[in-house]
Formats: sequence, structure tokens, C-alpha cells
Amino acid sequence: MKVAIVDDEQHCIDHLSTLLKPFGAGMDISCFGSAEDAIAGLDTLRPDIVFLDVQLHDKTGFDVLSSISKRDFSLIFTTAYEAYAIEAFKFSAIDYLLKPVDKDDFEMALQKATDKVEQSQLHDRVKVLLSHISTHNSPKRISVPSNDGYVFLLMEDIVRCQADVNYTHIFTVDGKKYTASKTLKHFEKLLERQHFFRIHNSHLINLTYVNSYHKDGYAILKDGLKLEVSTRRKEAFIKECGRF
Amino acid sequence: MELDSLIGIIESSPVTNQETIDLRNQYTKQALFANPSDTTLLAFAQSTVDLATELRYWKGLLLGYERVALVYQYSFSNPYKALEYYHKALALTEKDKDLESMGWSIYGGIGTLYYEQEEYGKALEQFKKVLHNDKNLELTATANIANIFGSLNQLDSAIFYYNKALDLEQVTNNPTYKANLYSNLSLVYSQANQMDFALASAAMSIDLIEQYGIEFVRPTAYANASMAYLGNKDYDNAEQYANEALQLSEAQGNIFLQKSAWGTLADVYSAKGEFSKALEAYTKFSVLKDSLNNQNRRVEINRSLLEFEFEKERTIAQAEIDRQSTIKTASLLGGGGLLAASVFGFVLYKRRRDAVEQKKEAEFRALVADTELKALRAQMNPHFIFNALNSIGDYILKNNNETALEFLSKFAKLMRMVLENSENKSIPLEEDLKFLELYLQVETKRQPGKFSYHIQVDEGLDVENTLVPPLLLQPFIENSIWHGFRDKDGIGQIQITINENQDMLICSIEDNGRGIEHITNGNESKKSFGVSITENRLKILNKQKNKEGRLQVIDLGEQKGTRVEISLPLERLF
Repeated sequence: MKVAIVDDEQHCIDHLSTLLKPFGAGMDISCFGSAEDAIAGLDTLRPDIVFLDVQLHDKTGFDVLSSISKRDFSLIFTTAYEAYAIEAFKFSAIDYLLKPVDKDDFEMALQKATDKVEQSQLHDRVKVLLSHISTHNSPKRISVPSNDGYVFLLMEDIVRCQADVNYTHIFTVDGKKYTASKTLKHFEKLLERQHFFRIHNSHLINLTYVNSYHKDGYAILKDGLKLEVSTRRKEAFIKECGRF
Repeated sequence: MELDSLIGIIESSPVTNQETIDLRNQYTKQALFANPSDTTLLAFAQSTVDLATELRYWKGLLLGYERVALVYQYSFSNPYKALEYYHKALALTEKDKDLESMGWSIYGGIGTLYYEQEEYGKALEQFKKVLHNDKNLELTATANIANIFGSLNQLDSAIFYYNKALDLEQVTNNPTYKANLYSNLSLVYSQANQMDFALASAAMSIDLIEQYGIEFVRPTAYANASMAYLGNKDYDNAEQYANEALQLSEAQGNIFLQKSAWGTLADVYSAKGEFSKALEAYTKFSVLKDSLNNQNRRVEINRSLLEFEFEKERTIAQAEIDRQSTIKTASLLGGGGLLAASVFGFVLYKRRRDAVEQKKEAEFRALVADTELKALRAQMNPHFIFNALNSIGDYILKNNNETALEFLSKFAKLMRMVLENSENKSIPLEEDLKFLELYLQVETKRQPGKFSYHIQVDEGLDVENTLVPPLLLQPFIENSIWHGFRDKDGIGQIQITINENQDMLICSIEDNGRGIEHITNGNESKKSFGVSITENRLKILNKQKNKEGRLQVIDLGEQKGTRVEISLPLERLF
């Protein structure tokens, strides 16, 4: 298996190599110390797994991604603290490891990468990722993992999300329903700064689609749907609607 | 430090020493600033004076006198009593060489007093004295001199001193002061009929206000900008700024600014030929003018100077506080200034409260408590990090490089969790338990065979849906590991139990270590930093929620262990 490590700090490369050591001779490791080297080398190397650092001197791992033509590997970002990047990874469902990398986390990520989970639809997920990194105010999508691959939904098209144990049903404005293999809490964390509000243990709604609030404790959506607002969330909900 | 915690520390202090005197003095000034109508502060300030006298703590006594003077000046509007106490403070500086340098701020206080009484000549004398003798007060003194010349209608001198103040280095780090100076300068330029300059100064002030969100200066700057636009015959902008100034000053209850805005509007409307609107504005202007005498205006200007002086003192004293909490303090101060200004304008007007003020004050107090809690949570971060570094160091000493690296990345993970969790007022119990579990795992790895732990959560408890303040239990667990099991023979045990009992969440941590009495030798002040932060957090949470959360530390006997019980009002997410 061909593994590429892209990082501008030697000690980070060393750390990842050390963590890869127990996986033995099957691992063919190539290292790139700069964005330029990686852009030049990755297309010819055709790696199976890429560990990609976010900050590479004056460039970023995103520059590397947007400059290479073949994105058919399993991608794992590595970063110490770039909050904006971490948020973008979550939106696009791209795996990442936080530095200093923990052994257990590393092994889990490597397992997924070897199983090619991290490879599927990477091209489209990277597109989502790059749109979140870009400062353009264009409509943004999120990658929604489901049992048969990813779907990519515009955030502004999502009307609401409903919990179903460990799954979440996502309803879009065109009347479609998607079932994601993540909990509602996952989507709450992802969307709470995008005008979404958790009104109930089972409901996360897009405030853009709220028509009114009924005194008896219901939010009424633009399509007429009535959803219960839990008592403890009422005050915050009304406040949030007022702000919106 | 904020009022609640200040008074908490003062009240809980078993003895009175120089430190408590300092805190009492700090409290008086801050409380006066937060609520100038609170006349009960006089008794408090006077007993500080008595305590300082008893202790023969002259510096504290000097500041105590100054605080009594401030209370008389601002709460009682009694300049004579205020002057008497300022002089008592000055007498001390003459007796004691070491206190001499503190005298200049007292002269500054006397200066503001004269200024309020419109005795401009005397006020000028005081501030010039201050200006020549105390570099630290250069900015306040220069700005005050400029204000005095403005009031004397000696516009050229006022302009000179405002520009001089703006050139001072002290002003560069103080956008609030800078915005205020530009706003005042704009007014003086308007009066001097230098309309280009008036407009430019107003624009500078508004730029700063927008950039830093300086709400405190905004209404005044808008009112002054509207006058500058009026002078430049830009009636649309003049009207817009006057209206915005009006709205803001109405919300603040600031009569003086309302009057000024109506005056400008009257002129704008008549220039535009909208005479019925002009008449209406003029009538409102006249009514407000009658209800204000000149003195009110002086006191109000002064009020903001008190704030600035206070801000300065605070900046110097707390320079060592880390960046994060400085930002919090600064934003809070801004809020405080806004409220103080509104409360004060109100006190001046009729000295009575109405519902709006009370609501504002309640909101302000809530904000103070929230900020205070956030600051306390933030303090947990360095606390945790330093202790973690200790653990890592200890581990590196005992183990090889590779396992040390593994250990380090585990701790990095823990630190990340601490940082993330401490951002929130409350987090699901599930998250806090996840953190504790990892923390305990890591600590057992550091000292294999030293202790074992067990976490038991009530079966009926919905850990996802139950909210707890983050990091409440960790300091006690840390104490068990670092102090409870030190020098212990045999294996230590930590039992963590979380139960639901009626409307309360009962958390207990029990160890079989040395016992708290034995660790501290019964000495309360040896309490760990983390534990005392937690106590303060609980105190504020109780006050906020008006409920009885409780912390009990029980000594189970020497070599038998310690049991910590925390009960919290049960809170659910949904």
C-alpha cells in the first residue's frame, strides 16, 4: 500500500512514520515537505492513502488538493488547531487527525482508509470542502453520509432534520427525504450556526422555513407542518426567531 | 474581578489585612461605577477607612478617603463633604513621603469637583498641577483641561488641548477615550464654526466606534456628527444622525443628548423648509432644556471621566492577566459604561427608578454573572494544563520516548476537551463523563498499580439529556490522585457516583486516601486552586438560578479517605 505524508515539519512526518511502523513492510511511505513537492509528486505516485497537513508554509493542503488532477485516494487531513479547517472537514465529511496524533485515533483512521471508506466519492467531497474554505459567499453544500454513499445537499435547501435513533432523516425543500447514518446531534453541531435550531429532542429545523410559533408550543413551518417545541427550548427558540 | 466575586472574597476573608482593604477599596469604586445611586456604599466606604486606620495601613487609608469622597461626590451630590475627604487624603500624602506620588490623582478628583461646580479657574489650576507632575495622568489631565476650555468657550485653547491629548501615546491603546476625544473635538469645532474640521473629527470618532463597537460614546458622537453635518448643509445626514442619537439616548434615558438631538433636528427641519416638524422638534427641545440645568451637564461629562480613570487604573493593575480574560473584561466594561451612563443620567434627572432601568440592571447583573462564570471556567484551562505538564514530565522520567509520546498525545486530547468544554455554560453529562473517563485512564497509565477507579451512574439517568457545568468534578479527582494517595501504602481507590434524587443531581467522589484533614492539617487556606474556583462557580450558579447547589467535603478519618459531595439542581436539555 502506498502512503503519502505531506507536512512541512519533519517531526510531524517522523511521528506519523513511527505510528505506521507497526503495520510493517506492506507500507510504502513517501514524504513531501512542501505544497509544491506534493503537487508535483502526488499525480505520478498515485498513492492509496494521503496524510495531508493543513498549513504548509505560505500554502495550504487545500492548495495541494485543488492543484492535483487525480483525487482517488483515501484522504486524511492532519492539523493542530485550525478551527475553520476542522469545521470544513465536518461539513464535507472528510476525515482528519488532530496533532499531536493519538495512537488510537490514528489506528481507527488508518483502518477506515484501508477499507477504502475514505476513498468513496472523494472528488465530490473535496469540492464541498473547497467551497467551505473559499471566502465566496456562494451557497454551501454539506456531505451527508448514508448507507449507500454520500449525497450532497445545499444547506439552504434543508428544511428540517428528524432523529431516528442513530439515523437522521433530512427533509429538503423539494419534498425529498434522505436518511443519513449519523445522529441528529451530529447535524445539530454542524448546522447550529447556519440558522438551524434544535427545537426538540427529535427535531432540528431551519429557521428560514419557520412560518410562525403557536402559543401551545408548536412551530409551524411554511409548508404547514406543525412540530412540537419542547418546553425547555421555547424561550431560546422565540429569541432566536426574533433575531433571525 | 467583578463585584459578586469581590464581595464574596471580602466577606469570606477570615481576617482583615492590607489585601482585604485593597479589595474593599476596589469594590467601592467598581460598585459606585456600576450603580451611582447606591447610597449604602457610604457606610461600606467609611468602615474601610476605620479598618485601614486600625491596621495603620496608610496607603489603604488614603484610597479609602478618596472612595468616601467619590461616594459623596457622585451618590450624594455633596461637593463639600467630598472636598473634605479629598483633603484628608492629601494630608496623608504630606505626612508620608511614600504616598506623595498618589496625591496627584486626588488633585485630579478635586479638579473634577470644581469643574462640576463650574468653578473653571480653580479646576484648571488643579489639572495643570496634575499635568506637570504625574505622567500617568497626562491624558486625563489634558482631556479635562480641553473640556474646561470648551466650557469656558475658549475654543482655540480647547482645540489645542484636544489635539494635544490625541497626540499622547496613552491614547493609542484606548480607542474608547480616543473616540470620545474626537467626538468632543467635533463639537468644539462646530462651535468655532470650523465645519470641515468638525465633520472630519466626527467621522474619526464614528469610525472608531464602528470598529471597536464603543456603544458608550456612540450617542454623543452621533449627536455631534449631526451638528457637523448641519453646519455643512448636509441635511439628510444631519437628520439621520440626529434621529439615531435620539433613539440611543432615549434608550439610555440621557436627557441632555435628547435635548441636543431635538435642537439639531429643529434646525435641520427649518433649513429644509419643513416648518411644522421644526416647530414640533423645537418644542421638545425647549421642554427638555427647561428640565436640565447647566450643572447636570457638567456632572455627566465628569461621570465619563471617572470611568476612564477607573479603566486606566484597572489596566495597569491587571496587566498580568492573560489575553483571553482581558478581552472579556474589556467587553464587560463597555457594557458597564453604557449602563452606568444610563443609570446616572436618570439619577440626575429625577432620582427615581422605573421599570426599564430595573430591567436593564437585572440584565446587566446577569451579564456580569455570566462573564464571571466564563472567566472562572477559563481559569480552569491553565490550571489543568500546568498540572497536565506535571503528569507528562513525571511520565517521561519513568518511561521510554515512544510511550511518552503516546501519553503526550492522550493529554493533548484531554486539553482539547477542556478548552472546548470550558467554552460552554453547561454541557451534557455524557461529555463530562467522557472527559473524566479519559482523564482517569491517562492518570492510571502514569502510575500503574497506584490506584483504581470506578464510575457509577444511576441507571435511570439520561446522560445525554442532563446538563452539568463543565469540569466541576475534575479538581476533586485530581486532588485525590495527587494528594490523597501520596505516601499511601496499598492501592488507592476512587469511587465516582452520580445519582438523581428528586430535582437534584448528586455527584460524589470518594477516595480511600489520607483524608482531607490530614492533607491540609485542618488549614482552610491550603485549599487547592481548582477547588476554590469550583466553590466560587457554585456560589454564582446558585445565585443565578436561585437554587441550592451544595458542595461538601467530608473527612472520613486519617488514612480512611475523603468524600466530596456536590449536589446540583437537575437541568435537562429537552
